[in-house]
Amino acid sequence: MVEPIQFDLPGDVDIEQFIHESSDPYGVKKERVKTEPIRIYDTFDWRLFNKSLVLYSCGDRLHLRKRSERGNLCSVPLTSMPVFIWEFPSSKLKEQLAAVIGVRALLQLAEIQTRSIPYRLLDPEGKTVVRLIYEEIRSSAHKKAPALASHLWLQPVRGYSKPSQKIARRFEQAGFTVNTEDDIYFKGLKAAEKTPGSYSSKIALQLDPAMRADEAAKVILRFLLRVIQVNAVHIEKDIDTEFIHDFRVAVRRTRAALGQIRSVFPAEATERFKKDFAFVGQVTNELRDLDVCLLKEEAYRAKVAPVLRKDVETLFDYLRKKRSEAFQEVIRGLKSKRYATVLQDWETFLNAPPQDSPAAANAEVAAITLARKRIFKKYKSVVKTGNSISESADDRMLHVLRIHCKKLRYLMEFFASLFHPETMDTLIDHLKRLQDNLGDFNDLRVQEEYLLNVAKQLSASRGQTERIFLAIGSLVGALAGDRKIVKTAFAQTFADFSAPANRELFENLFAKQRPLSDL
Amino acid sequence: MKTLAIYSNKGGVGKTAAAVNLSYLAARTGMKTLLCDLDPQGSATYYFRVKPKLKSGAKGLIKGGKRVFKSVKRTDYENLDLLPADFSLRNLDIRFHQLKRPQKRLRKVLAPFKDEYDLILLDCPVTISILAENIFNVADFTLVPLIPTTLSLRTHQQLLSFCKKKNFDVGRIYVFFSMVDRHKKMHRELIATAPKTLKGVLESAIPYLALVEKMGLHREPVVRFSPGSEASRSYQNLWDKVQQIVRSTDGSDATVPPGIQW
Repeated sequence: MVEPIQFDLPGDVDIEQFIHESSDPYGVKKERVKTEPIRIYDTFDWRLFNKSLVLYSCGDRLHLRKRSERGNLCSVPLTSMPVFIWEFPSSKLKEQLAAVIGVRALLQLAEIQTRSIPYRLLDPEGKTVVRLIYEEIRSSAHKKAPALASHLWLQPVRGYSKPSQKIARRFEQAGFTVNTEDDIYFKGLKAAEKTPGSYSSKIALQLDPAMRADEAAKVILRFLLRVIQVNAVHIEKDIDTEFIHDFRVAVRRTRAALGQIRSVFPAEATERFKKDFAFVGQVTNELRDLDVCLLKEEAYRAKVAPVLRKDVETLFDYLRKKRSEAFQEVIRGLKSKRYATVLQDWETFLNAPPQDSPAAANAEVAAITLARKRIFKKYKSVVKTGNSISESADDRMLHVLRIHCKKLRYLMEFFASLFHPETMDTLIDHLKRLQDNLGDFNDLRVQEEYLLNVAKQLSASRGQTERIFLAIGSLVGALAGDRKIVKTAFAQTFADFSAPANRELFENLFAKQRPLSDL
Repeated sequence: MKTLAIYSNKGGVGKTAAAVNLSYLAARTGMKTLLCDLDPQGSATYYFRVKPKLKSGAKGLIKGGKRVFKSVKRTDYENLDLLPADFSLRNLDIRFHQLKRPQKRLRKVLAPFKDEYDLILLDCPVTISILAENIFNVADFTLVPLIPTTLSLRTHQQLLSFCKKKNFDVGRIYVFFSMVDRHKKMHRELIATAPKTLKGVLESAIPYLALVEKMGLHREPVVRFSPGSEASRSYQNLWDKVQQIVRSTDGSDATVPPGIQW
């Protein structure tokens, strides 16, 4: 018995008096009261919460623990709180966090205060045999701040198990209950007016199969608009690169929804907003390209021939400078009149009541019928295009296939709630593997082009030595080598995706028309 | 994990006072520390207010395993545990002799603690027999308190000869001056000349102070009950030197206890 035990206190108990009364034959020594803030951290999209993890600082240490469990998984000393994973010193905690938070920034979500009064129970020699800690947790350091919880900890001392057992028994007899639940995390966040899991860029919607397709489309698009708005607010603060990324994905999904959930809105509205969102997406293109390059800084450095490693720094300096310009450009774009009008008009459009006799052909079709039709059609385009690549090995067609896959993926995610969840997960998983391969190929191709373009820009500016161009050349060469490897893997990846078993799943779920009651 | 023996083949030189204060200072830096009180007189155990009792006594200690684990007591200080003394330890020499490979028994007893602690300190009784061989076999470093007198130096030379004869690495034996009286000319002179004649002399001296003796009244390390005192500063200075030796060959970070988690 060395783990501390937490007791909940019954009603109005005078803790000090109680400790004195129940500690016989041990002496009681009260120690200095300690007040310490506890700060809880997570990423904007609750990545730690979603993995049931709690990251918190207390005193001069940062701890990671499982939610609803007592012990810490790991801790590190803390001088200043790191924001990104690469700012952490090498440690077990860093390893565990890296897998979860990726490139996202850690944000302080709540600060609560613990006020603890430690007591020591002493044997006749004056040796501590049990430690007791009365702890109050308040929402702020203010004395009048409401107490979120108060409890008594019993901390056994190694080598003195009998006194601990004796005291624990007395506490239980007095009506103290052992608390194994963990509610401080939730209470702390509630006090800070935070709702765990309140944001996710993942589409989590519950659609009704029988609802009108135009209404279903609006539900999906309203969700995406919310993601766009939430991220736009944070982009300006330049906290991490994922706000712009989530923003862009939501814009791309919006454009895909407008194009793929066919003929549910009046044609002129669809056309107008397609153009509008192409503009919104474009505003952020340059910044995202630069973010992608700079996020790979370490990996790039490793790819460059060792003799040129020092020279490649000029490239990164240049990219960083360009990034800050591109960032300002994005801010200007988001503050522009056109952006404001687009978002305003779009919101009005999405919130307008459904029309009684809409002109659009698919507006009144049941959501599930349209979903099936569109998903299966897109699936067929993917297979057809993929097959043609296997024969012709045309690089440009890989890009076309990637776009088809993206649209298919978005459609499946939009309407996922209408279909059998496990089957959907399996299908999306297969598709994801194909997309990863195509995405890697495309990223490498884009980066090669981007770097060549940067070389051109640098050659126009004065004072560059030939070594920077050699370094860029070395890097582009390495990326081209990687791209070749990725391409070799394409054939097998596509063969897996288009395998008969997978095809059958697609057909069963989307091609065969079944009555709604069968679902 | 490192093992540090505080050893002397002469009594009353300030071994226990050094062991108690150094172990406290080590624990305070975050190192998980175990102090083993091998002296049947049990002074270190007394200073930490623990009863001088081992489960199954010296016999249990020699057998090792779980019994030894169960005998360990957490002191009143974070990161600092104590393996208490026991009166039966007076027979440790005889018991070692009854076993095979008697010079390496202590190493076996302490082996299970290697994972748990960053530093193990041995507070050794006066001995230059089989127990001493056990100590030199298990210790990564040995720290010898030396009173700056000719007699003490002579005893220390005896120890070095013994170690050389037994093939122990004398390079891992360090010396610090203890119970130093600056009023005595002999003390001053010996301190000045010793580094020229002796290897491993640490630039650190513990003065002869009444406050150190008062540890018996307070039953706490002097660095704890009188942190600003000259005695405390001397021990802190000694620990700074010892720490460099201990850490120079140890890349591991100090671990920190779990404490209370909410």
